[in-house]
Amino acid sequence: MVLGCESCGLVSPAVRVDDPRLVQECPRCGHVLVATKPHALQRTWAFVLAAAVLYIPANALPVMVTTQALQRDEHTLLGGIHELWIDGSWGLAIIVFIASIAVPVLKIGVLGLLAWTVRHKPHWRRLERARLYRLVETVGHWSMLDVYVVVLLAATVRFGSIASASPGPGLISFAAVVVLTMLATWSFDPRLIWRDAADGRAV
Amino acid sequence: MAEPSDPPPPSDAELPPPRVVSAARWNVSLVWLVPAVAIAIAASMLVRSVFLAGPRIEIEFKSAEGVEAGKTEVRYKEVVIGKVVGVALRDDRERVVVVVQLDQSAARFAVEDTTFWVVKPRIGTGGVSGLGTLLSGAYIGTDAGVSTRSRSEFVGLEAPPLVLRGEPGSIFVLRATDLGSLDVGSPVFYRRTQVGRLVGYTLDADRDELTLKIFIEAPYPKLVTLNSRFWNASGIDLTLNASGLSVSTQTLVSILAGGIAFEAPADVGKSPPAPQNTVFTLFNDRRTALAPPDGIAVPVRMSFDQTVRGLVPGAAIDLLGVEIGRVRSVTLDYDAQRKRFPVEVTGEIYPLRLGPVRSALLRDVHNAGDAVVLEKLVADGLRAQLRTGNLLTGQLYVALDFVPGRARLAATTEDGAVRLPTVPGTLSELQPQIAEIVQKVSKIPFDDIGRDLRSTLASASRAINQLSPEAQKALAEVQRTLQRTQATLESLERNVADPSAPVQRNLEETLLELQRTSRALRLLSDYLQQHPESLLRGKPADTAVPKR
Repeated sequence: MVLGCESCGLVSPAVRVDDPRLVQECPRCGHVLVATKPHALQRTWAFVLAAAVLYIPANALPVMVTTQALQRDEHTLLGGIHELWIDGSWGLAIIVFIASIAVPVLKIGVLGLLAWTVRHKPHWRRLERARLYRLVETVGHWSMLDVYVVVLLAATVRFGSIASASPGPGLISFAAVVVLTMLATWSFDPRLIWRDAADGRAV
Repeated sequence: MAEPSDPPPPSDAELPPPRVVSAARWNVSLVWLVPAVAIAIAASMLVRSVFLAGPRIEIEFKSAEGVEAGKTEVRYKEVVIGKVVGVALRDDRERVVVVVQLDQSAARFAVEDTTFWVVKPRIGTGGVSGLGTLLSGAYIGTDAGVSTRSRSEFVGLEAPPLVLRGEPGSIFVLRATDLGSLDVGSPVFYRRTQVGRLVGYTLDADRDELTLKIFIEAPYPKLVTLNSRFWNASGIDLTLNASGLSVSTQTLVSILAGGIAFEAPADVGKSPPAPQNTVFTLFNDRRTALAPPDGIAVPVRMSFDQTVRGLVPGAAIDLLGVEIGRVRSVTLDYDAQRKRFPVEVTGEIYPLRLGPVRSALLRDVHNAGDAVVLEKLVADGLRAQLRTGNLLTGQLYVALDFVPGRARLAATTEDGAVRLPTVPGTLSELQPQIAEIVQKVSKIPFDDIGRDLRSTLASASRAINQLSPEAQKALAEVQRTLQRTQATLESLERNVADPSAPVQRNLEETLLELQRTSRALRLLSDYLQQHPESLLRGKPADTAVPKR
């Protein structure tokens, strides 16, 4: 069995290491060589769980507080989408829905599924699971759309007492959810999907 | 094909083995801190927003105008204490139920005596309010209750309360017969400065009276004393009566919007501030308000046999120039016996206006009552008379006066009113007298007198013509007599008028004697003037000439 260096591409033969405190290192560039990321599943689970927990306040609490004249309005994610839909901006509503509801839910769900199958159903639809992981990795960055919008509004809409916008507590949770799902995606090692597929064929 | 510069792929045997080094000391289980922290944060956030949220209350309104779920705020003193989370119709569809989520800090507002109302822009006589809501939309205003018993269902007020709980000031009650142009919010003035406002009025159907509530802001309640008189200072008070034209106003605001003014009469001394909810009478104008209290009126009736043009209800009833009453009504009556139309005048006399005299009069009749006093006065010759108060306008008033030389008359009482006997007025008394004179003059037979006179003159001229020869004789006789008289006078002049005549000389001596006597008398009177005591003591002895 050989190990490929993720940093410089050098391939080295795996050495058997029994002591858990010792790791193998690329002889050329010094990058740590692993067959799979250590404790990938544990980390993924931790981040997915944290993201799932924070997703609740992200939806329940207002992400943006706007003040017009003397009227103070609090907007939650779903409430904002609802308002957009009622106002007739269906396209915008769909975009915001995908970015702020569908993608995080999808990521949390997919990562949970991937982590679960590694342990319990290692042989089940490996190719599709690999594709799912690639999809999650690609789509992950776009979830920050909402955060950008609110931060931009808060920075630009500052007309003193007439109108102002400020981020609400939900936004911080939401940003944390996005960051945590990205961390979970990063912690997961797709090689785990193929751990027992020694023959090189998708089973 | 690989590029030429690429090294050939090494076989497994050629590959350099990886170095084995000790790993960084990093405990994997620390990653579970992340979900733990996430749970803690999420829990704290949710707990703060859900479990620490204040009570949820329901407020009933007639209409949900301007109230929007999720938008409309609940404010107390312009501080947001909650938010409307739902608006629904009540089951019977008569009213609207507004569900309000109060903040945790505002939990104390969900008590029994808290009041809620919708703040909207309002334009009233008291001014413009709620202009801010034009931009922000309506909100629900609150007046915090002080009760400790909690409550979650309220009935909202339709208009903001005029006095907020805890607003410093006092409420007083006014009773009025007429609201005039007053309205809720009308200002209350003291020395033309606004010190309060009218906060509400109700029509008391049982007493047929209006009960007004006024709020006097701190620190002015102490200006309201037990002696204070309130009057309706609405608009311009233009009065035309027996005393002429008078115009009185308060401020410009009160001319437009109406108002109440109060003041203590100058002639009464200082009096303690009135306690809350003291009841006062609201007078129609300042003059009546500041007049001494009228007390219980004694109704009177009078019947006049003359025109009463110029006598209006409200005209004064005077006693020797002091206004002690008012005319209530003037109606025409018919006297079938005399075939006349006497005018029936009813009025009221306020015995309190008599001042200290009243108690003396009451003592006179052994405290039998004001009506008895009046009856006694009538028996003593009190009469009512119509007099002209203002020659320009012809306004009349009723004057009570003691008319001498009138027959004693027992006073009568009918329907509880004392009937005052009347005498014709000064001008109207003159009229029949003149008429009588004219009648007498017209009775003189001027035609007969003229005829007699003419016949007398004619017979006289005839007589003169007949007498003429004798007259000439008589004239000659007269001439002779005159000549004889002249001779007599001449002899008299010789005997009397001549200075040497004895009569003349005697007269001269007598006159000289008289002159001396009168001089002596003058001396005596001078002496007496200087020494009047000499009349008693006699003349004192001459003082002795001092010796050398």
